Amino acid sequence: MRNRLACGVAAVLTATSACGGGTAAAPGTPGGASADAKAPPGYLALADDKLPAGGALSFAVHIDSGAATGLDPQLADVATSWQLMSLVYETLVTVGPDFAPKPALAESWETPDPKTYVFHLRKGVAFSNGRAMTADDVVGSLKRLLAAKSVWRGQLGPVEKVAKVDAGTVRVTLAEPYTPFLAALANVPAAVLPMKEIEAGSLDPAKAMLGTGPFKVQDHRQDVSWSFVRNEHYWDKGKPAADSLSVTIAPEEAARVAAVQNGSAALASLGNVDSAAMLAGAADVKVATQATTDFYYLMLNSKNPKFADPRVRQAVNMALDRKQIAEVALGGQGRPTGVTPAGLPGACDPATLPSATGGGAAKAKELLAQAGAAGLSFTLSIYATEPAPAVAQVIQQNLQQAGVTVRIEQMDEASWAGKVYGKVPAPFDSALSWFAGYADPGMVTTWWNPDVAGFNQGFMQADKDLNALIARAGATPAGPERDKALAEVCAKVDTDSQMVPLVTRPATIAYRADAVSPSLYATEGYGNLLRLVADARVKRG
Amino acid sequence: MRLLLWWGGRALSSAVTLLGISVLIFAALRLMPGGFAETILGPFATPEQKAELAARYGLDQSVLAQYGHWLAAFGTGDFGTSMISRQPVAAELAARLPVTAQLTLLAVAAAVLAGVPLGVVTAVRARPGGGGGAGRLLSGLGVSVPEFALGSLVVFVVSRYGLQTTGYLLPAAVLSIFAISATARTTRDAVLGVLVEQHITAAVARGETPWFIIRHHILRNAAGPVLTLTATITAYLLGGALIVEYLFNLPGIGSYVVQAVGRRDYAVVQAGVLLAAAVFIVMNVLVDLLVGLVDPRLGRRA
Repeated sequence: MRNRLACGVAAVLTATSACGGGTAAAPGTPGGASADAKAPPGYLALADDKLPAGGALSFAVHIDSGAATGLDPQLADVATSWQLMSLVYETLVTVGPDFAPKPALAESWETPDPKTYVFHLRKGVAFSNGRAMTADDVVGSLKRLLAAKSVWRGQLGPVEKVAKVDAGTVRVTLAEPYTPFLAALANVPAAVLPMKEIEAGSLDPAKAMLGTGPFKVQDHRQDVSWSFVRNEHYWDKGKPAADSLSVTIAPEEAARVAAVQNGSAALASLGNVDSAAMLAGAADVKVATQATTDFYYLMLNSKNPKFADPRVRQAVNMALDRKQIAEVALGGQGRPTGVTPAGLPGACDPATLPSATGGGAAKAKELLAQAGAAGLSFTLSIYATEPAPAVAQVIQQNLQQAGVTVRIEQMDEASWAGKVYGKVPAPFDSALSWFAGYADPGMVTTWWNPDVAGFNQGFMQADKDLNALIARAGATPAGPERDKALAEVCAKVDTDSQMVPLVTRPATIAYRADAVSPSLYATEGYGNLLRLVADARVKRG
Repeated sequence: MRLLLWWGGRALSSAVTLLGISVLIFAALRLMPGGFAETILGPFATPEQKAELAARYGLDQSVLAQYGHWLAAFGTGDFGTSMISRQPVAAELAARLPVTAQLTLLAVAAAVLAGVPLGVVTAVRARPGGGGGAGRLLSGLGVSVPEFALGSLVVFVVSRYGLQTTGYLLPAAVLSIFAISATARTTRDAVLGVLVEQHITAAVARGETPWFIIRHHILRNAAGPVLTLTATITAYLLGGALIVEYLFNLPGIGSYVVQAVGRRDYAVVQAGVLLAAAVFIVMNVLVDLLVGLVDPRLGRRA
């Protein structure tokens, strides 16, 4: 089960769920461990387009899209849902292997000024029911998203107006410049929906999916399987390469490992640190580690008297050894990170943060003594999904060096979510979770503003200075000036130490080299293992 | 008249038991930490969204009213709607029942067909050097090996050699190891108990063949505990074989209900647990009847 957040915070529930964690090959390779030596930079593997098109693909993933909001992409807040929905829905722009925005349903765009984006829509795009996509669908979808009670609304920035210019052009006006706008537009919640059908009542997007993407849904059994077939109206001719794709939901890691070993699945997501070792030596099986911008973070509840004094939080932060967490708990596949996810262009260097240069456990002890908290003891609440318990154990050992006693409280995800998010003020000392890191270094920093994030109001005090820094980094155009602004956000978050970024969270994939030739980015920002599935070629015979 | 009274008593006690279980499961779910809203709407959900969800599924009513509505609907076969899939729980349970039923059938058949002969053989060879010790050791091992360990091993080894783990034979085999071993041990103990009775000595003295003695004098008399165990295993497996379902990725009832517990999908858990309890109760009644038929002395006692 779980698994669920790439999930935004949602990570939580889905945490376990949402996105598989894992480990595998080359330790510490920033761009992921390559499965294909011939893959170009930025890719773990590149599909062999000399292989004939056609055939059936079968994948196994650990969790289904499962939320009370159903299949509505605008309300989806976890990566596992985004992943499945991305097979059917598409966005105006998408991201390349370097996180740069790339054309998708918008063939091109202009930014006549930092507050205006003019999108030129791709011609020949149709929904899988055959109806052509129009500018009205684009405008209607964005307006619907802006009005929705959606997590993604907070990432889209200060959108002031969305207007149709002509049949092939849409203009979006922002109230303030917002650099992550295109990156936010590239994720599934900002997909173009068939607004004509939705407004006519012939489609309830919570119950059925109808998009412009490479596949359409043939069958879905909740928590059991999905069956997708080629969208015959897909605009990118020749794609998808495969005729069909079946996705089996297999919550148990051993079942996914078995499926890849015996060939019943051509590709599977893995979550356990040991799975790569289990698959070592299996014939025709390749294991690859995809780096992600997702990262673990430690919540220190500042509304709890134990952590009300910033010096106590800073001491805990200072005593953490992020390298050790990455090496021991994540098999060397994670990377220390600040609040701007390591691996994203413009992200700050975690080695320069105050907690990294402050003096370690010895200094932490001093700081605790100054704060009258010598011999600090607290409970760390975690959910049971691997590798969270391993991360917690390393934290426990790190803090022991500073004379701090940590009691690890392991819970099921629902109980954990209830304890961490269910009440204001929240009744916990500290907790561990992870965030999706998205595709722009400024995006996830938004969650450090409790007024925008909402979910952390039970355990986090808003800091006006930090909020202003986050807003400034969001409004500054990409370049050295923005990098500097992001570094200031990093340092402030580090000093504040209410939500303490730790290490990035890798994703492990196993696939049958004799059954599929997949395309995979080396680094993923939205937890979407299936991002390039339309390129995947089936190997037969 | 006596039979009617007996049936009436059993029906009443069954109904009271079910009612008690319904209260327990209903209360337990609501007392569990972590509410449905945080779980299935996620931490970003606004208070309005939580309220809307609660209203849609009647979870904004008093707990007593919720319980009353659920019980009344349950009585009419309406098990409610899943908050995750938005589908009727009854339909999903029905879709998963064949998986669970086939697994149960195969495992129980193996338990009876292999466990009973093994138990008889180990009992009649209980003398030193008769091979009964080896049988006891094996059945002891079978009862002790945890399902998750055996299942994980089977899944890994079989799939490593490229063999499929799909289908029901392998998971049923994993389940049946415990069932066969437990049946063999219970049969052995029951048979040993019968073997020392005087009518067996008399039959041997009459010169009856061992097979005749086993069939006519031992099996019927030893049937009570074996039938009870078989019924218990059947009822247990019909409630869902969670670990094996997960390991072999079979969409049975066990994994459905456990996933629902994780998401606090109340209607699914309530229906799943209450139906499993009902199956247990019905199986118990049936086995009482069956034991009475096979061994009328026990029937009279019942």
